[in-house]
This record gives sequence, structure tokens and C-alpha cells, in this order.
Amino acid sequence: MKKAVSVMVLVAVAALTIFCFGSVASAGEEIKMVGVITKIDIAGKDAKTATATLKDNKTEQLVVITVEDDLTLDKFKDHRIVEGDEIRCKYEVIDGKNVSKLFRKTAGC
Amino acid sequence: MSKIRVTAAVFCLALAATTALAAGAHPGKESIEKSGYKGPETCEECHPGSAKGFLDTVHWKHASKVTNVDGLNPKEEYGMKNRIYVMCNGNDIVNNLKEIPKSPVTGKSKFSGCNTCHPGNHLSDVGSTGAAAEAAVDCLVCHSTDYDFRQRKPFKNEKGEVVMGQDRSVKAALAIGKPTVKNCMVCHEAAGGGVIVKRGFTFTRETDAHAAKGLVCVDCHKAKNHKMPTGHDPNNWANDGVFVSCADTSCHGVKPHKDADLNRHCAKIACQTCHIPRTGGAFAKDFTVWEQTPDKFYEPTTLKKEANETAPVYAWYNGTVKNTPHFIGPKGSKKDGKSKITPFKIFQGKAYYNKQTGELLSMDFAQPMSDGDTRAGVLSAAKTLGLKNPEKIAKEAVPGWQTIYFGSNHLVTKTKALYCANCHAPNGVLNFKDLGYTDKEILKLTSPELFMEKLAKKQKEDW
Repeated sequence: MKKAVSVMVLVAVAALTIFCFGSVASAGEEIKMVGVITKIDIAGKDAKTATATLKDNKTEQLVVITVEDDLTLDKFKDHRIVEGDEIRCKYEVIDGKNVSKLFRKTAGC
Repeated sequence: MSKIRVTAAVFCLALAATTALAAGAHPGKESIEKSGYKGPETCEECHPGSAKGFLDTVHWKHASKVTNVDGLNPKEEYGMKNRIYVMCNGNDIVNNLKEIPKSPVTGKSKFSGCNTCHPGNHLSDVGSTGAAAEAAVDCLVCHSTDYDFRQRKPFKNEKGEVVMGQDRSVKAALAIGKPTVKNCMVCHEAAGGGVIVKRGFTFTRETDAHAAKGLVCVDCHKAKNHKMPTGHDPNNWANDGVFVSCADTSCHGVKPHKDADLNRHCAKIACQTCHIPRTGGAFAKDFTVWEQTPDKFYEPTTLKKEANETAPVYAWYNGTVKNTPHFIGPKGSKKDGKSKITPFKIFQGKAYYNKQTGELLSMDFAQPMSDGDTRAGVLSAAKTLGLKNPEKIAKEAVPGWQTIYFGSNHLVTKTKALYCANCHAPNGVLNFKDLGYTDKEILKLTSPELFMEKLAKKQKEDW
């Protein structure tokens, strides 16, 4: 009986640890990445949202970022940010979408 | 009869221009639609002499005579054209826009150079003059809100010369007007190696009280004949001879507060001290060790913070600047009658020094960007500058640090401005000892006796 309780406690502690420190992104958590833009989708000059697909430098995974801030949208529209640019990005998972909180080119002069 | 027709035509043109201005649109669009956009030549139809005048500004020359900095020749011009310091370490001369050597890893090259932002076409470059230079001015990069930046890329022409492209489309020309924040930020945002790196600020509603009021850069940096007023940043040497002042009567005046105690502070405390309590951007950079980036090129190792993430340093500043190989920063004192306590963004950079003379050396970024060889960059720059024994200089160059005090003149806040207890307390933001006050004065300056009654009253009002 004692052994069973110990096992259950251990399992509970392990589950709690994973829940608290797990690397899986959850809503409200800010995730950082640096990656190169492989694709930008924006619907016209008046678009209020766009998506940019970034190839994560560390994992080489493709991550689709939803961009909603006016400054970055404007940079997509006038092509100050284009495919091939390397981006430093912070995003949050909101309703299943990776919503950009910071989206900047790493390069400068 | 013809006189009447001319008068009528002039009247109609004036009326059209007035109507367009009243509607917020730039006049002359019909003419551009009809005749196309041919660069400055088109602008000159209404703004004669503008292109020639522009060639005499810091934006074109990247330099000017400088009278407030130690150790400079008053007859020479200085600026990003030729300066050697550790935020950039290169300059327009040694790090001229060019195709860098191919990466030994990928076999790819790219264009790079300090003068990438110069508003010419690179054939007519920094400081150039004459008809070709006038025709090369990229008016629209500063004045159009519909500029296609895919056009503004360097390429090689049929002669193998590196040319900076421009968007001279009718579409871009039809969107002309007073420069917006975006126009300025195209270049100024990513100066020094990336977004926020050099100046450490963003100019947005969230980060600046002036932006929140709907002001744009040129509302304060109000140019006349393209001469751009600037602040007195110890590290921003080149200037057009005109300066921004918060105390301008059209802005805040010399008594900007309702509270006389606060106005009294204006004699010894710069506006920025209370109204720009935070700074950000790069705080350290190493030009002797470059990091490989994912594209297999190299960049100087840089440590940086977001806007508002670092605290400024405070010093007395009278507008003159100490300039040595290891320090660029404000001069001034409590006693000189001209200085004010002023906040600065502090930055430290590591680069190579000449072993023989102790002078800071500059670097051509082409080779280090390709393969990380920083001494090759020093060698190339030494050759370009005509230094004697460049190979010896590069081989023996000694790494060292330079500290720079940048002006902290943006990120203005009203609601989060420092108030009495932020400074007048033993744990206040000002180090009165370093600022030259005696122990007796410090005891008085850090006592609540100074503000107890005032803040108690304010606290009661606030709650």
C-alpha cells in the first residue's frame, strides 16, 4: 500500500514538474526565436494581418508567425522586410496561432 | 489679353496648390502623372535649387566642421564619413559599399558598407558635388510614403561599378510629402548594426510622449533648406549648424512647468534628466572577435538591451566633448556656470589600437564579414588611409576598449518622469558624490526635508 502511494506521489510530482517547466509552448508564454523568412503572405495594401514563415536557426523547423502590428505590416508592404531576411522574433500562442510580439531584422548597417 | 491669361493661369495654379495643401496632399501630382517622375529634376520644377542645396547638408556629406570636440582640426570636416570610434569602427572611406569576398563556407558574397544609407546612388557618393550628384539625390526615400524598398538595393552596372538602386516610380512620386517617422527610421532605426543598436530607442506611441501626441521626427528636427537641427549629443559630431531645443518658444519655453520649484531645476538639470529616465540599445561590442551568423557570414559580437531596459549615466555637460582614443564623452562641471546634469546612454566597444601611437584603428568590414579575419580588416583600412607600414600595424595591433557617452534624447515621458524622491534620496538615481557635491551638500540634497511638505500634499491630492 505504502509503495503504491509513493509511486503515485512520484508520478504527481513528475507531472507537476513537466507542467511547470516543460518546453511545450502554452498560451500566454512568450517564445523567442531567430530565423530566416521563407515566405510572407499579406493580402494587399490595406491588410491588417499577415503571416511570415520563419525557418528557425536552431531547430531548422518552419514556424508560421502571425503579424498584426502596424509597424511590421508596413515593412512587409513596402518591402523593407522581404523573404531571405533574418528575423529576431518573440511570439505568443493565442488561439492556436503564433502571434508576433516582436519582429525585427537582425541586420543593420 | 495675354497678360490677363498669364495672370489667370498663375491664379489657377496658386488656387490648385492651396486646395491641395488644404486637403493635406502635396501639389503637383497632376504634373507628375502627366510627365512622369525623373528624379530631382521633377522636384526642382517647384523647389528650384533644392538638390544643390541638399549637397551641402550632413545627410549628403556625412560630415561637417566640428567646433566643440577636443583634438579636432577646426578647418577639417568630421562625421561618419571619416570618424574612427567603437560603435561603428568602420566609416564611409574605409568601409565603402562593395561586394565582400566570398564566404569560404558557402561561396556566397553580399554587398556591405557604411554608406549604404547615403541618399545618393553610390556613383555620386558621400560629399560629391556637381550636376551628376544633384541628379543622383534620392528625394523619394525621405519624402515618399509609398517607396518600394526592393528598388533600393546595391547592384553592379555594366562597368562593374557598385550602384545603389532607387525607386523613381510615378507611384512613389505621387505619395510625396513631409517625411514621416518611417522615412527617417528607414536609416536611423538600424544604424550601428541592427534595430535599436546605436541610439537605443524606438519612436512609438508606447515609448515616447511626443510620438503619443502624434508628432513626427521633423516636428522637432524641423529642417530649413534640408539643414537638419540636431541635439548636442557628445557622440554625434557632424551638424548642419542648427540645433533642437526643448525650450524653443514654439515648444515648451524656458518655464515649462506650472510648479516654480521644477522650473528652478531647469537652470542646472537638463530636461532629459527627469523626462528620459531610461535608455537601451547596445551597451558593448567587440570588433576584435566576430561571431558567425546562420548565413555563415560574420558580425561583430554585440550585447544589447531593448529600449527602456537600461539606466542612463548622469554627468555635468556644457556642450563640449572630451575625445581620446579610450573615451568620448561630456565635459563640464558643477562650477562652470554652463553645465547641466544630463543623462547619457553609455556604451563600451573593443577594437584594435596602433601599438606605436596608441591611436584607435579603423576596420574595413569586407574581409571579417566574409571569414571573421579582423586583422585583415585593419590591414585593408590602414592601406586605404595611407598609413605607413600597414602590414606591421595590423600584425601588432593591440585590442583595447573605448567608452562612449551617447546623448539620451528620445523615449520622452511625462507620466513616468523622475520626481523629487527619485533623486533627492540616499538611494536616488543621481550619484551626487560623483557629480562633485560635498558630503555636507549631499546630506542636504538627500533629505526628505526638501520635499516632505510638497509630496505629502500631492499624495493627498492623488488619493
